[in-house]
Amino acid sequence: MLKIQNLKKRFGKKDALKGVSFEVKRGEIHGLLGHNGAGKSTSLGIILGMISADDGEVAIGGISVQKDPRKALRKVGAIFESPSFYDYMSGWENLKILVGLSGPFDRKAAKEVVERVGLMDRIHSKVGAYSHGMRQRLALAQALLPEPEILLLDEPTDGLDPEGIKWFRDFVLGLREERGMTVLFNSHLLSEVEQMCDRVSIIRAGELVYEGAVNDLRDDRQGVRIIAEPRERLEAIVAQFQGEWISNGRCLFPEDVRIAEVVASLVREGAEVSEVTPVRRSLEDVYLKYSSQSQS
Amino acid sequence: MMFFSQLRGELHKLFARKRTYIGYIVFLVFEALLLTLWVQVGRDQFEDLAQRNFVPVELLSSSLTSTYWIMGFSMFLLGSIYFALVAGDIVAKESEDGNMRLVLSRPVSRLRVLTIKYCAVIIYTITFVIFVGVTGYSMSLLAMGSEGGLFIWNPDMQILAVYPERDEGFRRLFMGACFMGLSMCVVSSLGFFFSCFKMKPAAASVMALSVFFIDFVLQNIPFLINFKHVFITYRMANWVYVLQEQIPWARIAESYAILLGLNATLFVIGWMAFQSRDFKT
Repeated sequence: MLKIQNLKKRFGKKDALKGVSFEVKRGEIHGLLGHNGAGKSTSLGIILGMISADDGEVAIGGISVQKDPRKALRKVGAIFESPSFYDYMSGWENLKILVGLSGPFDRKAAKEVVERVGLMDRIHSKVGAYSHGMRQRLALAQALLPEPEILLLDEPTDGLDPEGIKWFRDFVLGLREERGMTVLFNSHLLSEVEQMCDRVSIIRAGELVYEGAVNDLRDDRQGVRIIAEPRERLEAIVAQFQGEWISNGRCLFPEDVRIAEVVASLVREGAEVSEVTPVRRSLEDVYLKYSSQSQS
Repeated sequence: MMFFSQLRGELHKLFARKRTYIGYIVFLVFEALLLTLWVQVGRDQFEDLAQRNFVPVELLSSSLTSTYWIMGFSMFLLGSIYFALVAGDIVAKESEDGNMRLVLSRPVSRLRVLTIKYCAVIIYTITFVIFVGVTGYSMSLLAMGSEGGLFIWNPDMQILAVYPERDEGFRRLFMGACFMGLSMCVVSSLGFFFSCFKMKPAAASVMALSVFFIDFVLQNIPFLINFKHVFITYRMANWVYVLQEQIPWARIAESYAILLGLNATLFVIGWMAFQSRDFKT
């Protein structure tokens, strides 16, 4: 559905993208992960034709964005982190103008979408009076008109309250369920990606460091947060049990290792154990791991 | 058909903003002030001139003549500022506010987006000039009544014309307003041109006004009198020739062809700059 090949982009002396390639299959929710400045938004900008690539190509449904942007973007809906609407106009007027740019404005379809995003009560109010959550709902409404096949979401849940995040997540998952919508979800909220995405691409400093299924990133190793003194003794025991440090104080042990045995060994070796807490290995750990691998 | 619907949307955006109307309100006040000054002070000073040129004094006191003065003075001085402000805003403000990202995320070409915006600015400019003419004439009617023709005296452009008949005077003045509107499109094109580049809206307006006023100052330097024809503001001032008794159509056509070419060039360069821009957060 979406194919990105060898994207390169340089802003001044800085390489924003150094040959990024990945693919989003039809009906898939694909996460694009990376820290701020990694190149996620630049990638999305190039996909939407807002940023010109120095090299590489983006194809949506087999149509090149570089060669025929209008045709390629016909089935794309996009949302940005802080969507900027015309604040002095109502939500409905904003929809009419934005949707009217790509074709005739279908009032019935627009009404249905507005109802679906739960904005019917306030659609005729000025956007200047909207909350961030309402703006995101309006952004979603404009992205869904008329009937896109792929949604590009650039950090859409940033700034939303937990309730708003949940609503957004459920809504996007619902779209995939009902319409088989393809989604490219750009975020640094790792838990969101983990909960929503089927596949993930990790970008660090303009380079793709991982592309694969979210499930493949997970493993069955046990995550534990251990704090003990002296540090050297702790590290020796962790190594003895084939543990792997994933971040400060947190390590992963093979499935067959009993954590009680690790603690007993520490005590036997005279280490002062102040904390042992089981932790769940998150996508963040994986992200950090792949990022640091790429860096080294 | 879709183009007109999009243009309607653009005009709706333009006229939904309260600040668009500041220009209209200021102009109404300015027109009223000019009219008062004309009635109280200006008219007396020109009576002598009229008598020396065997022009009946009633012509000078007419609503048409005062409308000519109001339009001539207010538009070049104040109109240029408003047109530069509105045109300088039209692309740059949306780029600055982030609206442009939302617009460009739709399947629409950048050329289409710019063409719609440019058309909206041109419509705004021409209708604004006509608005000034209509309101200026309406105020003059209230102050002086409907009697009298039109007396034109423009020493810079060497025009002296008298239209004793009100209908002919009105027709000429309306033509003048239309051509003046076309002339003022150059200021709007300048504002639009700078607006297409990566700069703040205020910077685009200031740049446009700078070009306009520098050109105006240069045009009025005595030792450059032989080069008047190369200045934009001189060509823009050619609208007054439609008020001459024998209209020099060839001269008018030449000037407006040059202005049209300039507008088209500004649009194309602006489009090229806009097309090559990256829109990031």
